Amino acid sequence: MFSFKKKSLGSMKLAMSGLMVMVLFLSACGNNNAGNSANSGAEVSAAPTVEASTAPAETTAPAVEKTVTDSMGHKVIIPANPQRVLGSYLEDYLVTLGVTPVAQWSVPNGIQDYLAADLKDVPKISYDLPLEAVTSFTPDLILIQSESEVQNGLYDQLNKIAPTYVVGDALSKDWRKALLTIGEILNKTPEAEQAIKDYDQKAADAKEKLAGAIGKESAAILWLVQKNFYIVDETRSSGAVLYTDLGVTLPNLVTEIPEGTRATWNPISLEKLAELTADHIFLVNSDKTEGSAILDSAIWKGIPAVKAGKVHELSSTASWLYSGATAGSQTIDDVLASLVK
Amino acid sequence: MVPSPESTHKIQKTVGNKPLRSHPAAAVSIIIFGLAAIVFGLALSVSVGAADIKLATVWEAVFRFNPQLQQHQVIRELRIPRAVAGALVGACFAVAGAIMQGMTRNPLADSGLLGLNAGAGVALAVAFAFAPSLSFIYIMLYCFVGAATAALIVFGIGSLSYNGLTPLRLTLAGAAVSALLLAISQGVAILFNLSQDIAFWLAGGMGGTNWIQLKIMFPFVVVALIAAMMLSRSITLLSLGRDVAAGLGQRTRLVQTTGMLVVVILAGTAVSTVGPVAFVGLIIPHVVRYLVGVDYRWIIPCSAVLGSLLIVFADIAARMINAPYETPLGALIALIGVPFFIYLASKRKGELS
Amino acid sequence: MSKIVLSPYERQRRTRGITVLSSLGILILAVFIVSMNTGFMRLSPLDVLHTLAGEGTHQQKLILFEFRLPRIVISLLVGAGFAVSGCILQSLSRNALAEPGTLGINAGAGFAVIIYISFFPASTTASVFLLPLLALAGAGLTATLIYFLSYRKEDGLSPTRLILIGIAVSAGIYAFQLILSLRLDPRNYQFVATWIAGKIWGGDWRFVLALLPWLLILLPFSFYKARVLNVLNLGDQTSAGLGAPVEKERILLLAAAVALAGSCVAVSGGIGFVGLIAPHLARRLVGPRHQVLLPACALIGALLLLTADTLGRWVLQPAEIPTGIVVAIIGAPYFLYLLAKSKA
Repeated sequence: MFSFKKKSLGSMKLAMSGLMVMVLFLSACGNNNAGNSANSGAEVSAAPTVEASTAPAETTAPAVEKTVTDSMGHKVIIPANPQRVLGSYLEDYLVTLGVTPVAQWSVPNGIQDYLAADLKDVPKISYDLPLEAVTSFTPDLILIQSESEVQNGLYDQLNKIAPTYVVGDALSKDWRKALLTIGEILNKTPEAEQAIKDYDQKAADAKEKLAGAIGKESAAILWLVQKNFYIVDETRSSGAVLYTDLGVTLPNLVTEIPEGTRATWNPISLEKLAELTADHIFLVNSDKTEGSAILDSAIWKGIPAVKAGKVHELSSTASWLYSGATAGSQTIDDVLASLVK
Repeated sequence: MVPSPESTHKIQKTVGNKPLRSHPAAAVSIIIFGLAAIVFGLALSVSVGAADIKLATVWEAVFRFNPQLQQHQVIRELRIPRAVAGALVGACFAVAGAIMQGMTRNPLADSGLLGLNAGAGVALAVAFAFAPSLSFIYIMLYCFVGAATAALIVFGIGSLSYNGLTPLRLTLAGAAVSALLLAISQGVAILFNLSQDIAFWLAGGMGGTNWIQLKIMFPFVVVALIAAMMLSRSITLLSLGRDVAAGLGQRTRLVQTTGMLVVVILAGTAVSTVGPVAFVGLIIPHVVRYLVGVDYRWIIPCSAVLGSLLIVFADIAARMINAPYETPLGALIALIGVPFFIYLASKRKGELS
Repeated sequence: MSKIVLSPYERQRRTRGITVLSSLGILILAVFIVSMNTGFMRLSPLDVLHTLAGEGTHQQKLILFEFRLPRIVISLLVGAGFAVSGCILQSLSRNALAEPGTLGINAGAGFAVIIYISFFPASTTASVFLLPLLALAGAGLTATLIYFLSYRKEDGLSPTRLILIGIAVSAGIYAFQLILSLRLDPRNYQFVATWIAGKIWGGDWRFVLALLPWLLILLPFSFYKARVLNVLNLGDQTSAGLGAPVEKERILLLAAAVALAGSCVAVSGGIGFVGLIAPHLARRLVGPRHQVLLPACALIGALLLLTADTLGRWVLQPAEIPTGIVVAIIGAPYFLYLLAKSKA
């Protein structure tokens, strides 16, 4: 089969002319687009180091270029006074330090909504950091949260655009340390320290109020998305705030998760959830449509906290799934609003 | 025209040397013992799960239900529907496979391998992307449409071609259509950031089955199974070759069309409930044919029983292998199915092309 | 199966070969230019010319030389690699539907890479050169497995069985992959998912460097073996009769095809159908003689993949469609068309 046929010369001509038409069409489109967008081309030639000497010094000591080592062992030369910072998924820290990033993290169906007020006019950049998109923002410093975001050579590519510093998963687990590190890089150590002090003060005040309001009562944090529940443990995001900073008692199901099998998200079946004895439930509902059926089920309604009407629902735009001073502070506000009447 | 020598040869090979042999006694015992085993499997399935619930409590939940007790609710609302749905879905996949194998005389026919599952998958991906809040009945209808489209493409290609639907051609068309449809679903998933949702669905699993789904799917399954039984005689004749069937007064086109409709309903229902689980429809009919012979009046009910049995027990295994996490059911069955497929493919020399 | 139809117009055919090859070259050049102009950042053709002449801004140079150019080169190389691999496999198995994708070789190579990414997500520099090796190992293992499963003493390597077992083995690997990938955390998962879908993600000169040596050895090697392929394509008995040491040559060529596919998969992920379509188109254009067929294949494969990659970047801007998906959407219907037309 598929044997050689004579007529194929004709069909080749046809195919070629077809392709040529397509090529012309494509290049025409390319031209059109090119016209209305020759924007930031010129800016880039101004090297960041030149700016550094003229930029107003924000700290008392005159800023100088410095070399630091990131979590992956890269020696990174940080410009004296970074002006255009890109910190994908690190926006919480930047907002806390009063730095407006040049672009903000996004996925096709959303951004970090809880920062929306602070990042109102900041354009979005896809979570996977397309190189040309990064280039178009002309950053002078790129901060990366996790090693896994820049695997397989992406780091070197980004580093060609601007000095790139990887904060790393180990450090990101503890937002205080990450904040101090980022503060140091951006010459904002005092701001970072102040932010931590403010947060700790706020947490201590809230802890006192909570102790008075609910005593030793326990609370669970559940995240409902795509018909599945996830339970938040005491090590991250709102769990760290609620259990560690505010001293709320852990519910039975979290303590039962075996240490070794803990994942970033701890999925929990409805079946297991039936055994939840927590006095309060914080429900982050990212599933307004499909999830409602689950919330109508006899099992959900049979959970003691639900029966007692102690479910505090948070919208999917709340800060509860994120870590950081800004996220934590908002979480504390939510907790107080829910539990302290 | 006489029955094509190939087809009778194929039948004889699995059953012995007498043509058209069937073993009603074996069939009856499969049905009886199979049903007993299913009941046992259902009981077992209801008693295992993430929450530790005593057998006595399970018994009570079934016979002296107390809505105030959470454990009773778990049994009633989660485990029983899950187990029952598993049994139904197994029957659907197996019978769909049996019908396809009989009608197309293709030993490798299976709703997964022929692209029907992938078709339902695309429909679902599109549904997830554009109308995320669909109720189950619509999801099921989407799956029907998707499966039917895939079936039309695959069989269309098969019948368009020079010398009809050879098993190889059908399998290849199935693989290509699956690849195409999978690419489209992946594209949709990546663009709408649904990747992992779709992946979980693609993996197949019984988690999250509820009474509402059961109530919706049940009538479809029952009607389709009854229709399959009514077609079974004609399918037996078709399995001897279209010419034989036509010669014996069968309206082959009508039978094939109804048969495909039944297959689409069975596969669509099953896929919308558990995701695209392949290989059940491949393995079970072969085992059944080996045991009961070539009469589809026996093959279809026996396939239904053994298919149920396979999924019920596979679902139990999926929950137990890596507890408290569930192992994807589709992957689990593929691990049994792939060696079986390889065995079938290498057993028959030349016949497949 | 493809037959050699000896054309009485040998001379005419030779000129045609040259015409076809040079037309393909021109087409590649045309798509190349379009591709240089396609991307998130808008660069006018004039800008591109300026930059190519060395007068662009730093940013423009970065985009053209560091981001777009390596990716284009990789597309071309990977396309050529898959196409030639597919062509060799088709001729060896005398099965017009064989290609690294349908035979499960891509799946095996991809699986090896995914295991690596899942367990060592953060390693960077070393992995660029390690990945092709891993993929090669995966591809080799899978190919061996498929070979042994489908080889039988009585009738050797039946083309039908080869394909069916390839499909089965891919399904099995896919099942393992699924189990593994569901355990990844969502961010790694995204990466793996896009990778499986086939995305030219290594837009880096180092990937070119990692891929190039393999192609520089394997492509000329297969061109050199063109005559043997012509003979093998006739079938075992005929070729044995013509004095070719069938088994040895076949294994050697098979290894070359597997290595080509494996090293390409390492850089591009699972891109199917190129290895299928390119040889068919090439055969229609230049006939079944491998001396011309293989180079034509390489060029068509390169053209196809570059076009698919450019389309993937352009159609839904600023979102990108993974190249593998574009290729599958173009390729699968063509496959079905071939299937419908074929007489096998």
